[in-house]
Amino acid sequence: MEIELQEIRDFLVRHPPFDHLPEAELARLPKALSIRYFRRGTDFPPHDADQAYLYVIRSGAVEMRDDGGDLVNKLGEGDLCMVPCNPGVTFSGKAVEDTLAYLLPCADLRRIQADHADFNEHFEQSVGQRLRKALDRLKESPPGAETLMTLTVGELVGDRVVHVAPSVSIQEAAKVMSEERVSSVLVMEGEALLGMVTLRDLRSRCLAVGLPFDRPVAEIMTRDLHRIQRTTPAFQALLDMTRLNVHHLPVCDEECPVGVLTTTDLVRHQSANAVYMVGDIYKSKDVEALTQISVRIPELQVHLVATGATAEHVGQAVTSVTDALTKRLLELAEAKLGLPPVPYAWIAAGSQARREQTSYGDQDNALLISDEFRPEHDSYFAELARFVCDGLNACGYYYCPGDVMATNPQWRQPLATWKHYFSTWIESPEPKAVMLSSVFFDMRSVAGDHQLLADLQSHYLGISATNKIFLAYMVANSLKHRPPLGFFRNFVLIRGGDHAKTFDLKHRGVVPVVDIARVLVLSEGLDEIGTVARIQRAATTYAVSKDMAANLVDAFEFIATLRVRHQVGRIRAGQEADNYIHPEELSPLERSHLKDAFRLIGEMQETLANRYQSGRFG
Amino acid sequence: MLSRLLGPEYRRKRLAAKAPSGPLRAYLSHVLADRGSDYRQVEYLALDLETTGLQPGKDHILSVGAVLVRGTRIDLSTARHVLVRTKRSIPEASAVIHQITDDRAAQGRPIEEVMPWLLEQLAGRVMIAHHAKVEIGFLTAACRSLYGSEVLFTAVDTQAVALRAFRRRNQEVAARELRLHALRQRYGLPRYPAHDALSDALAAAELFLAQAAHRDSGKGMALKEFLL
Repeated sequence: MEIELQEIRDFLVRHPPFDHLPEAELARLPKALSIRYFRRGTDFPPHDADQAYLYVIRSGAVEMRDDGGDLVNKLGEGDLCMVPCNPGVTFSGKAVEDTLAYLLPCADLRRIQADHADFNEHFEQSVGQRLRKALDRLKESPPGAETLMTLTVGELVGDRVVHVAPSVSIQEAAKVMSEERVSSVLVMEGEALLGMVTLRDLRSRCLAVGLPFDRPVAEIMTRDLHRIQRTTPAFQALLDMTRLNVHHLPVCDEECPVGVLTTTDLVRHQSANAVYMVGDIYKSKDVEALTQISVRIPELQVHLVATGATAEHVGQAVTSVTDALTKRLLELAEAKLGLPPVPYAWIAAGSQARREQTSYGDQDNALLISDEFRPEHDSYFAELARFVCDGLNACGYYYCPGDVMATNPQWRQPLATWKHYFSTWIESPEPKAVMLSSVFFDMRSVAGDHQLLADLQSHYLGISATNKIFLAYMVANSLKHRPPLGFFRNFVLIRGGDHAKTFDLKHRGVVPVVDIARVLVLSEGLDEIGTVARIQRAATTYAVSKDMAANLVDAFEFIATLRVRHQVGRIRAGQEADNYIHPEELSPLERSHLKDAFRLIGEMQETLANRYQSGRFG
Repeated sequence: MLSRLLGPEYRRKRLAAKAPSGPLRAYLSHVLADRGSDYRQVEYLALDLETTGLQPGKDHILSVGAVLVRGTRIDLSTARHVLVRTKRSIPEASAVIHQITDDRAAQGRPIEEVMPWLLEQLAGRVMIAHHAKVEIGFLTAACRSLYGSEVLFTAVDTQAVALRAFRRRNQEVAARELRLHALRQRYGLPRYPAHDALSDALAAAELFLAQAAHRDSGKGMALKEFLL
């Protein structure tokens, strides 16, 4: 007798964790299932089941609520309802659409879990463990890209062979090279490659030894050539050049020469490298030159991501470039305006301060001036700020929509005024003050007198840690950015049951963790600035458990890495990078990991909200 | 005519007495499902036949798909798809529709083996089929030719259930709206790409669950509300 439940098997394999099952188990699985239909409005899971089942939604939709009636999840096609298999869980739900479900007895589920470790991971591991694995996998699988590892030599050299006959004079060969603007020429007799002459050969074998220019070029050519093929990996060519200590290699198609690969070809490919860029920035003579370097920042992010960089790597690299641009702009400004009348510190705020920038973002900055400041000095600092902020805007760091910039007189003040700001914000927290605090508690001195910021920080850290009401306001403010509940079909499921078309990776993923990390260090009077560093440091205190801290870091890295990758996808498609991901861009697995990350962040937000009873300050 | 008035149980007993000993008598010796019982307490066999044509007695059964429905739950462990061996060559038109060719049919089991199995499955249960006339007609013809005697089924025809639902609401209905896949769509049931006897039997079973769920206020209903 023949069993054909292929359609059901095919459905299951499209949805995790069934995709982890081997073929034999998958083929058996449909026979273990039952099917039930739930009319819209009926209770789910049903009360009349003959035994405990795992429910797999085949079509329709189900809403699950906790004891308090709050929506905790909405299940659609391919989602699982584990409730009957977990006696401790008391969520209940209703079919909100006519729903068809596949039922797997919990006993069978346990048997399959015992037999298949990969499948079991989905159920047995803690949310944190699952997320850690997902993060590892994400790091191991950079979105494929053109790197020297994947490119071939043929993709780097043009289809142009500059060649001369062995009998032509050295001078004639040099003339051909300068007309063709190349640094080497092949010496060929008909189709046959005899040798190659490079600029270095002209210098050391002709000019330096006084060989007459009218001698045949064959006398100075290199005869024993190491040839590479069009199909040779670019990385192999780089190794060959290093080993042979040469800068030119003839490229052949079988026997036939098709071009010459130079070190420049290889370097040009890697020009979007933070080290090169920073070097170029310090050599730039004007803003125009800086803008030409900054247009390569998106490319820098593309290359980093392609080689497996996480959000943290991208943040470090992009921020280094931003810092260099800022410092160079300040040098250019000082060259134009003269030396500052009194010492100052150029302060980066927000993501630049935390070293968490991506290639897409605005500028947040301020000027912290020595208390020797007199009102007549302000015209200098106003011009300095204008020069730098305009320069940054020209380099693609848009003016801050909230006007958190040194051009704003409010944020261009002597130390004493800044101290006063912080005291006021902390001691009489009202919504605007709390919003500004969350911007200015992330500060880093980029250039100038770093001691100024150190003084300011020791001032506010002393008062913020002990002010519980201020912290409660900070927590309440951070709860404005809640992660979604998860995904439902091609929508993002928001708390309260609303649907959004896109997931805002920044405001609903990255920012909630950034806010949590800030509260954690402030409550302990710690001075870390980076989000990961803050969480890790807080884990050494009572502010957060080590487990929770590790989970939060993973959740943050997972979301932030998806974000930098999403941006790379946009850049590659010729679009401007943004922070909005459509659920259909996510694989079922990524969705399920994101849901884990949302859950962790949500839990930590609840913990903080309870600790500071922030409901009273929202 | 009198026997109809006397009810199905009376008819079943009379037919059982007439039937030769063997699979048909065994089938007829089972009490029929009680028409008055709650449909949620009954066992059903959802059934689909693929045939060489539409005339029972002349055309042949090519394959049988069947799955048990226990109350409101389809039990996939009982799902079966059986090819029937036929001596006659399969008309081209039907081979195109069912994808069952002479070669595949030759691998099937003879109808003499398939019918006893099928009757055993149906014993004491209610048949579910979409446009059940075909299934009833072919199984009746098979019983006549194999056992020389008449048979009797209790059946839910999902098409008839749908037609009654339209009429209750005084709705006009076009024939295409009564097709299995059109009706499934109305109830939000998924689209099945395959069209073999088993997936059609399953499709009819799911449609019945949906139809019942939409008529049932949650307190249950008598089986007879759904019967032909």
